[in-house]
Amino acid sequence: MARSDRLSAVAGHGLPDFLGRTGPTAYHRLNPLTKATIATTSAVAAVAVGGLIGPAVLLALAVIAPALAAGVLRDLVRTSVLLALPIAISVLVVNLFFYPEGQTELFRIGPVVATAEGLRFAVEILARIMAISGAVTLFYLTTRPSDLVIDLERRGISSRVAFVANASVQTVPAMVERAGQITDAQRARGLDTEGSVWRRLRGIVPIVGPVILGSIAEVEERTMALEARGFTRPGRRTLLWAPADRPAEAFVRWALLVGVVALIVVRLAGILP
Amino acid sequence: MVVRWIAAVVAFVATLVIGIVAAGGSFTDYEAALAAFPWITAAAVIVSFAVYAAIEFAQTGAVTSVARQFGTRTIVLMPIAIAVNVVLGQTVAAALKIPIYLDSIGTIIVGALAGPIAGALTGLLSNLLWTYVLPPPFHSDFAAPFAITAVVIGLFAGVFGRAGLLRPRPGSRIPQLALAAVIALVVVGGLAAWTYGEFYSESFSLDAFTFFNPTPDVPPDPVLVVIGWLIAGLLAAAVIGFLLLLIVRRDAGVAYVVVAGAITGVVAAMLSAPIAANLFGGVTGAGTDFLVAFFRQQGSDVLTASFQQGLISDPIDKITTFLLVFIIVAALPARMKARFPQGERLVEVGEEVAPDDDGWRGATA
Repeated sequence: MARSDRLSAVAGHGLPDFLGRTGPTAYHRLNPLTKATIATTSAVAAVAVGGLIGPAVLLALAVIAPALAAGVLRDLVRTSVLLALPIAISVLVVNLFFYPEGQTELFRIGPVVATAEGLRFAVEILARIMAISGAVTLFYLTTRPSDLVIDLERRGISSRVAFVANASVQTVPAMVERAGQITDAQRARGLDTEGSVWRRLRGIVPIVGPVILGSIAEVEERTMALEARGFTRPGRRTLLWAPADRPAEAFVRWALLVGVVALIVVRLAGILP
Repeated sequence: MVVRWIAAVVAFVATLVIGIVAAGGSFTDYEAALAAFPWITAAAVIVSFAVYAAIEFAQTGAVTSVARQFGTRTIVLMPIAIAVNVVLGQTVAAALKIPIYLDSIGTIIVGALAGPIAGALTGLLSNLLWTYVLPPPFHSDFAAPFAITAVVIGLFAGVFGRAGLLRPRPGSRIPQLALAAVIALVVVGGLAAWTYGEFYSESFSLDAFTFFNPTPDVPPDPVLVVIGWLIAGLLAAAVIGFLLLLIVRRDAGVAYVVVAGAITGVVAAMLSAPIAANLFGGVTGAGTDFLVAFFRQQGSDVLTASFQQGLISDPIDKITTFLLVFIIVAALPARMKARFPQGERLVEVGEEVAPDDDGWRGATA
């Protein structure tokens, strides 16, 4: 136990604080794959069911209830709303005002008419978006990124894929930092990042070019470093720690998968309205 | 080797046709199948890959050509490519406020340098990690459903790279330039004509030339005719600008890169549109949504409006991306490129590749 705690601390290094917590509640301590399955199946089910009531029920049962149990509801609402806001605004504006099948006029601004049918459609899409966004947000609020990868590696995905996944998590912030430095440097040399569309378009190459070229230049060193450490050796790797799993969770995962497939089949066959 | 490629392409097309027929369409009338296009394409990718691998295994007893794409060098490049996709997809495009996505540069780089399967895997992992693994602020709840688009972009980039379309050809002679320009204009023009006829207008006539006329019986709104001509004028200006660029740079490669970008863009739009339509009613929260609103206002249904928006944005985005990748890869030293599995295809004809004795052709490098 002590060893796994130490390893968890190492794995959490460099991540935001709210992700570095080690499983305070039972929901956090579920196997990462179970949580990923719950997130995916509830998102797919929200789309497959359609309408307003289905996604709303899913949102309450599969997102809000577990989030309350895990004590992350505040974070969930904040992050989920923030992530879904641009698309939610688009959905609302586009469908409220530009819904050609709409007949019932709510109000009008100049030549565009807001219709009740458009509003209804927009609210349905919004419910679906909130269900998808909530399910995925709940997953990563309660799971450390490396845990899912370690768990999948234990289940037999290639250690190379696992390396790519974990390295991506670390490469993203490093690249943001590099991009910031390069943007500052180019602006010091007179690059215009504020002007007209054409000027901004021309700003892409002097920023993107050096970021990518600089990163690719590092490939050589890293390749040699990995090969020197036996990265290409064949055979299975021994994991020092992996998230716990229980037979009951495996059953739940399979049940959810079968359930969602059945739901899609039923919907495609047109049995449900 | 040729047999494998032909078999893979045949399997791909056959699965597409079977899928379209199964979804209720036919060769000439495939509109019924448009909504199912992402599923059909996913099946076609898997089937053609299985056929390719099976034939290679039958011929040689191993799948070396696939394994070769995943050397340590590729594995190290992939996280960088994924980071490029995510960082650019989420920030630069937003910060520069341009209605394109720029979220497939890394995928296309890996496809071009390492091969189609490596490119496809990079695309798949990019979108999956973006949703399931990467923490905020570089996280998107809505990337995973579009994974099939990213897979096909990586696959196409790999095939185009292998075919040598992304090879720089500086100092091309006039006949070569002319040939490249004609090929590019024919392909891009053909794609434009097909998409226009299929998605933007029922009939083609010069006095009713408009992008926004779903009902040809009613005479179109004159404003829309003007806008239609305006867009046509912009396209013509883009073509002339492209030809000038070709002559100034004297690099026939630019034309082939545009061909690659245009084809990838149209396919990407065909894949993303049904996904966006089914999940979000056609919008994606990006700068392209005003186009959806515009097409909806003209009476298009959700799916059609998604196609109409995507078939404008995606080819522009993918041509820009392919040109960026072309410039970036051309700036890499030849010996660095040549160490990647498919890098020789990106080295200029006659460019000096420094002799190398560290065994990069081996399975491990």
